[in-house]
Amino acid sequence: MGAVLRCSGLRKAFGDIQAVDDVGFEIAPGETYGLLGPNGAGKTTSISMIAGLLHPDAGEIEVLGTRMTPRALDAKAAVGLVPQDLAIYPDLTARENLHFFGRLQHMSRHDVRARSDEILEVIGLRERSDDRAGEFSGGMKRRLNIGIGLLHQPRLLILDEPTVGVDPQSRNAILESVEALAVEGLAVLYTTHYMEEAERLCRRIAIVDQGRIVAEGTRRELIDTISEQDIVRLKVAGDVHAAAVACDALPSVSSADAEDDEVVCLLDQAASSLPALLAAVSSVDASVVGVEVREPDLEDVFLYLTGRALRD
Amino acid sequence: MLRAAGLILVKDTRLRVRDRSVWLFAFVVPIGMTFLFSSIFPDTGAIELRAGVVDLDGGEVAAGFVEGVVPALADADVLTEVGFDSEEDARARVTEGEVDAAWVLPAGFSEDVLAGGDARIEVLVAAGRTLPGELARGVADAYARRIEQAGLAVTVQGVLTGGPPDPQLIGAIAAAAADTEELVRVTTDLADRGQPLDAVSYLAAGMAAFFVFFAVQFGVTGLLEERQFGTMSRLLAAPIAPGAIHLGKLLGAFLLGVTSMAVLAVASQQLLGADWGPAPGVAILIVAIVLAAIGVMSLVALFAHTAEQASNFQAVVAVVLGLTGGVFVPVPGDIAALRIITAVSPHGWFLRGLNELSASGQWTTVLPAAGAILLFGAVTAVPAVVVQRRRSSW
Repeated sequence: MGAVLRCSGLRKAFGDIQAVDDVGFEIAPGETYGLLGPNGAGKTTSISMIAGLLHPDAGEIEVLGTRMTPRALDAKAAVGLVPQDLAIYPDLTARENLHFFGRLQHMSRHDVRARSDEILEVIGLRERSDDRAGEFSGGMKRRLNIGIGLLHQPRLLILDEPTVGVDPQSRNAILESVEALAVEGLAVLYTTHYMEEAERLCRRIAIVDQGRIVAEGTRRELIDTISEQDIVRLKVAGDVHAAAVACDALPSVSSADAEDDEVVCLLDQAASSLPALLAAVSSVDASVVGVEVREPDLEDVFLYLTGRALRD
Repeated sequence: MLRAAGLILVKDTRLRVRDRSVWLFAFVVPIGMTFLFSSIFPDTGAIELRAGVVDLDGGEVAAGFVEGVVPALADADVLTEVGFDSEEDARARVTEGEVDAAWVLPAGFSEDVLAGGDARIEVLVAAGRTLPGELARGVADAYARRIEQAGLAVTVQGVLTGGPPDPQLIGAIAAAAADTEELVRVTTDLADRGQPLDAVSYLAAGMAAFFVFFAVQFGVTGLLEERQFGTMSRLLAAPIAPGAIHLGKLLGAFLLGVTSMAVLAVASQQLLGADWGPAPGVAILIVAIVLAAIGVMSLVALFAHTAEQASNFQAVVAVVLGLTGGVFVPVPGDIAALRIITAVSPHGWFLRGLNELSASGQWTTVLPAAGAILLFGAVTAVPAVVVQRRRSSW
């Protein structure tokens, strides 16, 4: 089956800042594709172009084979957008919000009514459907925000950081919904800076930094980019930065970075290298008060590829 | 495009109905202000002047004023003439506010005029009687100008011939002094401020024109509100023509503005006995002023980043245009500078159009004023549309 979304060579600059630089990927039906990167990496700019909100300086975007432009109404109709910021009218009820956006999607009154009932059930707002959205909790607003994006049964759902500011219970409900949608065959483009969400939901993940995709693949493929190495986290009392520099100088260490009161080291053969690490920390007037050895995750991959943590 | 614009219009209308501030600006406050002003200034449409003359000159030219102009003004119901025993009596009664004003013709007034000098009439005005005072000054100025023009001819003749004044020219001065018809006409125009509209109608129309600039804000700033709600991205991502969003907003502003003014016209007629004039002409002026308000406010909104900021900017512009247009206090039509200021306000043209409509009873007489108002709308709307399209286009 052909790709639902195909984009290539996307570029967008705002003045001197290159927000998006040569971004391209495809998403197949039923696939959840993740854009993982810190705030300001260019994720929202990328999806703004894909959803037809922003004109790319260069590159191509096709949704179901149709080139995306402001007047490509068929392409737009195939996309459901859930913006990062809440996009609801606080003075309208949940049902009125759904009704308005459904009608904008050229749904008939009857279809909007029927589909609104379904969506309200799915997002757990059936009982509050006639309450104004402004009276909802943050989590309920988020769920309504997502429900509007799903209302017209799009072929491609774009979720831009949908769990930001959401309580753990609502967050879990959102992630479960996205998993269920993918099972139903919906293509999902999911942006996040939460590694766990990307690992849980996305079949393929693009790691984005400073407007560029620095790595792309499945979770396993991405972790394999840092080979068979281990992560050693040393909790340090004393000068953490000096300790990181001392560790980084060891031949067996690929990288060592200071993170709060820890030194995070990527290295081969953690067990045999541990004594040298402890010695290196001691040599700079610091001491190790805790050690954790584990397999790398996407956060470590990002750190390895960019030299910065995802939360930076 | 129309379907989507209609959906946005209906949605915005629903939001506005739930937003009490719209009701305040579009209906409640303008009607309330009209009630208030009409009770405070019940006779702003026709100024009554209680005044008299102190003739310290007793000459031929002064007699023209005392025996010609003043009785003529009294006959025209502009002036209630009072007599003074002396200059001191006049000053005391003016100071006490017993009379509005007094004209003092100084000794040697006639001789000065015949010698080609300044024709100065002193005008005493009671404190707080601004408009009657202005009228009294206007009468004195108009008379003095007329006499000076004739006196100038005497001076020129004297300079050229070196002889005594030509009796014919002196006769001309006397004739000018005695000719009260033109002066009375000017004065009665001054007295009723050139407003065929009665006071209540003028106030109601002025308030409606003033507040419609606030009412249309709610549509004009709609785009900023959509950004504030975060819903602009959803609207732009929807399968609708991008122009539909603007169209929906502007339709909302237009309908709210027209409804507001129509309600005010009917309410002021039913509740206060106002009469704006024949309906077709009123309708043309209402449509024109609403379009101008949308144009002006759209331009102002371009300079704002939030709906609140836009409202603040727009309030300042609405107040300035309203004041210069004379919505609160009629602008004297005999002062050139004020006439020019009024001409750069759509409110001024709106009221002028209603005056002409009221005076003529012909709806076609509003067309020049409506054209001027629409010109305001076009001049402000074009850059607003161009910039807005550039901002929201791909």
